[in-house]
Amino acid sequence: MAKFTLPANSRIGKGRHYDAPANAGKTRRFKVYRYDPDSGDNPRVDSYEVDLSRCGPMVLDALIKIKNEMDPTLTFRRSCREGICGSCAMNIDGVNTLACTKAIDDIGGEVKIYPLPHAAVVKDLVPDLTQFYAQYASIQPWLQTRTPAPPDRERLQSKEEQELIDEPSACILCACCSTSCPSYWWNSDRYLGPAALLQAYRWLIDSRDEATGDRLDDLEDPFRLYRCHTIMNCTSACPKGLNPARAIAETKKMLMERRH
Amino acid sequence: MTAGYEIVDHTYDVVVVGAGGAGLRATLGLAEAGLETACITKVFPTRSHTVAAQGGISAALGNMGEDDWRWHMYDTVKGSDWLGDQDAIEYMCKEAPSAVIELEHYGVPFSRTEEGRIYQRPFGGMSTHFGKGTAQRTCAAADRTGHAMLHALYQQSLRHDATFYIEYFAIDLIMDDGVCRGVIAIDLADGRIHRYRCQTVILATGGYGRAYFSCTSAHTCTGDGNAMVLRAGLPLQDMEFVQFHPTGIYGAGCLITEGVRGEGGYLTNSDNERFMERYAPNAKDLASRDVVSRSMTIEIREGRGVGEENDHLYLNLQHLGSEVIDERLPGIAETAKIFAGVDVTREPIPVLPTVHYNMGGIPTNYHGEVLTTVDGEDRVVPGLMAAGEAACVSVHGANRLGSNSLLDLVVFGRAAARRCAETLQPGARQPELQEQSGDEGLDRLDTLRNAKGSTPTADIRLRMQKCMQEHAAVFRTGDLLRAGIEQLREIHASFADVSVSDRSLIWNTDLVETLELQNLLDQAMATISAAEHRTESRGAQAREDYPDRDDDNWMKHILTWIDSGGSVRFGYRDVTLDTLTDDVEAIPPKARVY
Amino acid sequence: MSRRTALGHVLGLGSAKDGTGHWWAQRVSAVAMVPLGLWFLFSVALLIGRGTVDYLSVIDWIASPVNAVALILLIATMCYHSALGVQVVIEDYVHGGTKVVSLVLQKFAHAVLAAAGIFAVLRIALGS
Repeated sequence: MAKFTLPANSRIGKGRHYDAPANAGKTRRFKVYRYDPDSGDNPRVDSYEVDLSRCGPMVLDALIKIKNEMDPTLTFRRSCREGICGSCAMNIDGVNTLACTKAIDDIGGEVKIYPLPHAAVVKDLVPDLTQFYAQYASIQPWLQTRTPAPPDRERLQSKEEQELIDEPSACILCACCSTSCPSYWWNSDRYLGPAALLQAYRWLIDSRDEATGDRLDDLEDPFRLYRCHTIMNCTSACPKGLNPARAIAETKKMLMERRH
Repeated sequence: MTAGYEIVDHTYDVVVVGAGGAGLRATLGLAEAGLETACITKVFPTRSHTVAAQGGISAALGNMGEDDWRWHMYDTVKGSDWLGDQDAIEYMCKEAPSAVIELEHYGVPFSRTEEGRIYQRPFGGMSTHFGKGTAQRTCAAADRTGHAMLHALYQQSLRHDATFYIEYFAIDLIMDDGVCRGVIAIDLADGRIHRYRCQTVILATGGYGRAYFSCTSAHTCTGDGNAMVLRAGLPLQDMEFVQFHPTGIYGAGCLITEGVRGEGGYLTNSDNERFMERYAPNAKDLASRDVVSRSMTIEIREGRGVGEENDHLYLNLQHLGSEVIDERLPGIAETAKIFAGVDVTREPIPVLPTVHYNMGGIPTNYHGEVLTTVDGEDRVVPGLMAAGEAACVSVHGANRLGSNSLLDLVVFGRAAARRCAETLQPGARQPELQEQSGDEGLDRLDTLRNAKGSTPTADIRLRMQKCMQEHAAVFRTGDLLRAGIEQLREIHASFADVSVSDRSLIWNTDLVETLELQNLLDQAMATISAAEHRTESRGAQAREDYPDRDDDNWMKHILTWIDSGGSVRFGYRDVTLDTLTDDVEAIPPKARVY
Repeated sequence: MSRRTALGHVLGLGSAKDGTGHWWAQRVSAVAMVPLGLWFLFSVALLIGRGTVDYLSVIDWIASPVNAVALILLIATMCYHSALGVQVVIEDYVHGGTKVVSLVLQKFAHAVLAAAGIFAVLRIALGS
C-alpha cells in the first residue's frame, strides 16, 4: 500500500539553532532540512538567522552565505546560479523550485527549505536522482531517423515546426515537476513522470524524427504514461514556465488519433 | 595508500575528465571509434557550464548571406590580436560548418530561417570580406544555444557505449616519468577513491572564472584540470588573458548574451549616448569583447556611468519589440526580469564588464595533444590531451570572439577523439600502475579533509577573488599587478591554515570546495604573474603602463609553471603564423581597429 | 538490495501497449453520464415537485419504457465508469500481492452491482 505516514527513520527531530552575528542588520530565519548519512540519525531541521543586509537576493545566496559563514557542513548542489543548469532544485516554502531564481523577498516569514519530495535523500538537500535520470534515458531522447541525413547540410525544418519543439526542449532536467507530482510519488517505479514525458513529447513532435510510432508504442502503458491524472502540479512547479501537463495531454491525444 | 580509503581500480582506453561540450563530444567520438571510454564529471553532464552559453556557435554556413570560412579565420586571427596560432585557427574555421551540421544531425533544435535552414545572427567581430561587411555567422537556438547543444550531446552519448562516472571529483593525474597513465577521482556519493588506468586522459574541465569575485561563470568553474596539469609539473599557457564580457548583469553577474547586440541592442551611458560609436565607428556595439569592455570601463571612469554610484551602463533592447524578443531572446527577458527586475520591452538592462572566459589554459596542438617545452622545443606529453576552455590550442589568442567558444568545444573535442582513434589500439595492453600511483593526490585530499586550521575555505576564497578583481581586471598596471602578486602570495600561503568542518566521506562539499580553492589559487597566481610579466597591451591584456602591442618582443605565448609552494617560472612558445594548408594565406599582423 | 541497473528497473517488463482504450472509455462513459445524469436528476426533481415520491408512483415511473431504458443505460454506464475509476485508484495506491486481488474483486463487485440494478429495473418494467 502507499504509505501515508513517514517511516520511523524519516521523522524529523529537533535541530540546532545558529544565531546571526551581533552586528547583523535585517535578519530572516531559514529552517533547513538536514540529514547526516554518517550518523544515521533521523533528519532534523536546523534554523539559521541570516543577515539579509549582507546577502544576495535569492534563496541560493542565503544558502551559500550559511555555508560560507555559519555552517560549512550544509550540503546542497548548485552550479550556474542563473536558472539554467537545474542543480539547485529543492522544496522552498512548500514549492519545488530553483533556489537560484527564488527571491527571498517573495517568501513571507520563515524560509523553510527541504530536499525535493519523495526522492531518497543522500545528504541534507541532496536527493538521489538516479531513477529520474534513468527514466529520461528510457525514452531514448535522441533523434531517430531512417532517411539518411544530407551529407553536407542540415536537415530542413520549417520555422513553424521548430517552434513546436522550442519550448519543450528548454527543459533543464531539474526534477521539480516530477517530484511535485503525487502520482509520481506513489508510482515512480513505473510512472515515467512529467519530466521524462515532456522530453518524450519533444521528440514525438520533432518534424525531423521518424520514430514517432515506435515512441508512442513505448509510451502506451497504463503506468508509464497513463498514471498522469492531470493534477497539474508539474506545470505549476516548473521554474522555466514549461507545460509538461499539456505535453502529456497532447501525447494521449496522439495515441487516440492513431486508433481512429 | 593512505589508510581508510577504499580504492577501486579501473582500466580504460581513454578517460575524459569533464562532461561539458568538449568532454561530451570527445566521449562520444571515442565510443564511436570503439575505444573503451570513461567520462568522469563532478556534476551531472547537463549541468556543466556549457549549458549557460546563450548566443550561438559560429560557422561560415552562409545561410543568411554570403560567407567563407577564410573570412571567419581572418576575424578570429584579428580578434586574437595575432596571438592565436593560425594553423589551429584555420583548422577550426574550416571544420566549423561540418561540426555545426553534425550537431544539427544530432538533433539540436536550432532556430530556423524561412527556408528551413539554421538561423544565424551577427556577433561581435564577425565580418565578411576580411573586415569589410557584417557577417551573420552565429548559429543559434534562440538564446539558449549552449543548453540545446549540451543536452543534444548528452543525449547522443546515452546511445553510445561510454561509461559515465557522474558526481566524481577528479583529484590528480597519474604521471609516470613524464607520461600520463591515468587519473584518480573521488566518488562524492560514498567517498571511495577510483583509480583509472588508461592510454590517454583527455582534460575537458573548463575555465576558472571563479578565481574572480564577479564572473558569469558557474560556481563549478574552478579549472580543476588546469590545476592538475600544474601539479603534474607541466605549464599553462597565456594565463594572463581573461575575457571580460561586456554585458554581465550589474550586481548579479549573470550573462546577457552578445546576441542581444547582434539582434540590434546597444549600450548607452548617463548622457543616453551610444558611446560605442566613438570607440568603434564601424563595428560599434559589435566590436570584439575586449574593445567593448575597455570602452565601457573608460565611460564609467570618466563619470558617465549610470545608477546611484555611476558605476555601470545600460544595455537597450526596448526598441526591438516584444515579437523579436519573444522569438529570439526569451531567456534574456527572463534572466533580466529575475536578476535585474527589468522588463526588457520597456527598460534597459544595467550591465557591467564581467569575467567570462579564460583564453589561457593547457597548451595543446590542434589535435588536442598537450604540449610542454624542453630546452625551448615543443614536446608532446604522452598520454595527455585537453580540449575546450581548459585547453589553449590556441585559437583565441589574446581575445576570444563571441560564439567561437562553442565551436572550439565541438571541433577540438572531436579532433581529440579522432586523434585517439588514429593513434590508440582499442584494448591495448597497458603497463601496471605503480603501487603508490595517485598517493600524492590522495594524501592531499586526506590532509584537507582533516584540516584543522583557523581560516574557513570561504574566507580564503573571498580574499583571493577580491584580490584578483582589484588587481587583474580590465585595465592593469605594473604597480597594481605587483601589489596583487604580493597579496596573492600571502593568500596562497594562508591556505596552509585552512579549516574544513565536514569530515564526512559522503557528499562532502566542504572538502570539494577546498580542493577547488586550492586549484583556483594556483591559477590565480599564474594569471596575475603572467599579466605582470607581459609588458605590452594585446587583446584582453590592457597594460596602462605599456599601452601598445609589442610584436617584436611579445608575439609569443607565455608558459607558466608553478611549484607546490606557489613559486612561478616562465617559458615561451612562438605563435604559429603559418597556416596549416595552402587553402588560405597567412594573415600578417596589422593594427587592430573595429 | 537489488543490483539491477536503474535503467533496467525503469524499462522493467516493457510497455503493455495498453491503456489508451481504458483512458478513452473513461472519458466516453463520463460524457455519456452527463445527459443520463441530467435526465435522472431532472426526473427525480419532477417527481418531488409533483409530490408523488411514494412507492407506487416511483414504480410507475420506472415501469415506463423510456425511463426503464434510460435507467438501465445509466446504471450500466455508472458501474462501468466507476469500475474504471476504482481500478485506477487501486493501481495508484495498492501495491504488492493485494493489488491483483483487489482489482478482480472490484470488477466483480461492479458487475454484481450492475447486474442487480439492471435486473431490478427490468423486473419492474416487465412487471413479473
